[in-house]
Amino acid sequence: MSTQTRSHKATKVLERLTKKVNRQIAGTMLACVHCGQCTDSCHYVQTNPGDETFIPAWKADRVRKLFKRHMDWTGRVIPWWVKASSVYTDEELEELRDIVFGKCTNCRRCSINCPMGVDFASMNRMARGLLVSVGIMPEGVSVVSKDQWEIGNQMGVLKEDYLDTLEWMEEELQEELEDPTLKIPVDKEDCEIVYTINPREAKYDPRSISDAAKIFHVAGESWTMPSEGWDMTNFGLFSGDDDLGGAVAKRVYEAVERLNGKTLVMSECGHGYRSTRCEGPNWSQTDLSFKAESSVDTMLRYIKERRIKVDKSKNDFSVTFHDSCNNARSCGLFEEPRELLRLVVADFREMYPNRAENYCCTGGGGAMSMSEYTPQRLKSAKVKADQLIATGADKVVTSCHNCVDGLNDCIKHYKVGMEVTQLVNLVADALIIEPAKTTVVVEEVPAAASAPVVEEKAAAAARPLTGRKILVIDDEPDVCTFLSTVLEDNGAQVLTAADGDTGLALARSEKPDLVTLDLNMPGKDGGQVYEAMRADDELKELNVVIVSGKPELRGLIYDKDVRKPEGYLDKPVSEETLLTSVRKILEVGEDNVN
Amino acid sequence: MSEALQFAQTTLQEVALVFMAVVYMLRLRWIFKRFPAAKERQGSTGNPDTNPRKGFLYSWAIIGMPWVMESSRTKPIMYGMFVIFHIGVVVAIAESFIIPYAPGFLAANPWLGTFIQVSCTAACLVGVLRFIRRVSDKGMRAISSPDDYFSLLLLTVWFAFAALAGTNDASGGEGFLLTYFWMTAFFLVYVPFSKISHYLYYPITRYYFGKSMGNRGTYPIVKSVPGYVKTAGE
Repeated sequence: MSTQTRSHKATKVLERLTKKVNRQIAGTMLACVHCGQCTDSCHYVQTNPGDETFIPAWKADRVRKLFKRHMDWTGRVIPWWVKASSVYTDEELEELRDIVFGKCTNCRRCSINCPMGVDFASMNRMARGLLVSVGIMPEGVSVVSKDQWEIGNQMGVLKEDYLDTLEWMEEELQEELEDPTLKIPVDKEDCEIVYTINPREAKYDPRSISDAAKIFHVAGESWTMPSEGWDMTNFGLFSGDDDLGGAVAKRVYEAVERLNGKTLVMSECGHGYRSTRCEGPNWSQTDLSFKAESSVDTMLRYIKERRIKVDKSKNDFSVTFHDSCNNARSCGLFEEPRELLRLVVADFREMYPNRAENYCCTGGGGAMSMSEYTPQRLKSAKVKADQLIATGADKVVTSCHNCVDGLNDCIKHYKVGMEVTQLVNLVADALIIEPAKTTVVVEEVPAAASAPVVEEKAAAAARPLTGRKILVIDDEPDVCTFLSTVLEDNGAQVLTAADGDTGLALARSEKPDLVTLDLNMPGKDGGQVYEAMRADDELKELNVVIVSGKPELRGLIYDKDVRKPEGYLDKPVSEETLLTSVRKILEVGEDNVN
Repeated sequence: MSEALQFAQTTLQEVALVFMAVVYMLRLRWIFKRFPAAKERQGSTGNPDTNPRKGFLYSWAIIGMPWVMESSRTKPIMYGMFVIFHIGVVVAIAESFIIPYAPGFLAANPWLGTFIQVSCTAACLVGVLRFIRRVSDKGMRAISSPDDYFSLLLLTVWFAFAALAGTNDASGGEGFLLTYFWMTAFFLVYVPFSKISHYLYYPITRYYFGKSMGNRGTYPIVKSVPGYVKTAGE
């Protein structure tokens, strides 16, 4: 053994390695014959021909060499013979970090294509955990893990914001279905279903919550959402941190037990489903005392049991389906989403390959939070873009929030011209709502007084942002005009700034209610403007919505240890998305205007 | 038969075999005692028609089902080479028992000698092709260790001598037979420390992976169905 000095972190990694390797991982360490059969299965390899550092076996050997050097016979005696070697410095650990986090999404496509049964993805996850245990990880992983440990969910959504969002969605739904008795129940005990979600839904996609609520309501379900333990996602799966994985999973399980729920239903999130349904019991050493299922199963069951009726002609566009790696390859959810899709859309088209052989959305394994690797992630997304383009579909459906973001980035980067949606949205849109399912309350208003009131309400509803001041900071004139027009049409007073410095000055002088902020601007970029706002006592409480067309710049915001923005919108942003987001943040309902 | 050949065929082989068996016993003891298997608590998911038992049986059998994995389905030539190579291994090993312990059977069945020669020659040719691929392909070079090259070379040369010794005919001299048996003995001693012992790990890795995938409804592998292809007018 070499007498070279070893850093403290390297020593700790090696100590942990000897404790973490179980029989499954040991098999994976020992069994590889370097046959190269896994090579073509990886989307990184396909988009980086000639770069051997993306080959799964090569990447695996960066971890395997440590096992061989420190635990295996031949590697300990004649290390060079089997390419065994150790780590000594923090720089070497950082190189390993860039491989296990930056060059693999743990999609398991190579694992199912290995003739020897080598599960590289599981080994890679273990290696991530070793590095995380000594604090070596991408900044985004650190920030997200911290939020999940400390705040209880991976997007740092505060409890009051989460509850506000549920209340907001409840009001929207009451209005939409004209049923003031409709509820999104929170912490109701003894329900059939305890519904848990991805915090992305509370933060950026509340429509998926109201869609789910609509489906539960129409199905006449006894259901609730917990006020604690509502985040079924689990960054422990991505970071390889079993302790975090166990703690997060346990929070969800305890919520179900506390509420005495019969079934835990997880919204459409691949890694959340895998973590909570499959891996969580192992990490937390818990045997579940209740049933757990994906909302895809729940919705399908409702249709089969005729608890809800759907009309597929309401979704009269063509769709294709993307199998999330975690849902499909790792949890066997292949046919259920397809069966459901065929019931709610008129034109379903398979993309190829599909099911267990589908390619990763390229945003898996936590890649969306690792902005330093975004360029190579987007490069690898070419494989997915080609798959999507071949179908010619109008929309791609996926049962995973992470895939929604990954696919959106891919579509934008390769200009695929396709929308991404989820099954819950399609089912909600296809619902046939019978009058009996809703209670319509008709207020009797004296005829003379009713006309002005109705007119006033109608006008308020038409201009819901009246009295609100919004600052748009964007260097693209077209975008500025679009955002200003939409916001002004809805009653807001809009100020615009074409660069960061002007924007900051206007924010200080005008004290807007909300700022939309572009990231890619000449001079001070959006990240610097954002950081300056959060560091400024006068501006730190400002509501900020990032509006950006460059996903690779997300790190400018999300890798910083500052409060996260209130919203994030991808360019091009639609009028509906912009208004929904702004109204949610400003807590402005259809008839809730100043 | 010379004393040297007699020794190489019997005593040397027996000692080498015992050595290999002892090392393998220690190896298995190391794997099973040093590395406890992770317990899987999760309930089953996916297709209800499969289960952990079906999963690991399928997993063990997967190597004989080239249509299952995309990696073998799309590379039939590679799979064919794999089959020829491993048939060669089985035949060459069997030869090391047949010649010393059942020479009469070999003499009485000349087809057997021919079969040994044909399969070992074919395996040898595949070994050469595999070696060329490993040396010439940049990706293969990147993942190869000295052990990978040496093991492949060792087997390829061993196949050659197994073919030459296949009819157990020492009339032209005992050179081929002696080389074959000394190589076999070396092979037996070297194997437990090299990648060649992957067959020892195959049942283990495939058992656990298959069991887990069976529990989660992914094994038997749910393959792709043909995808939609948009027409020119779309």
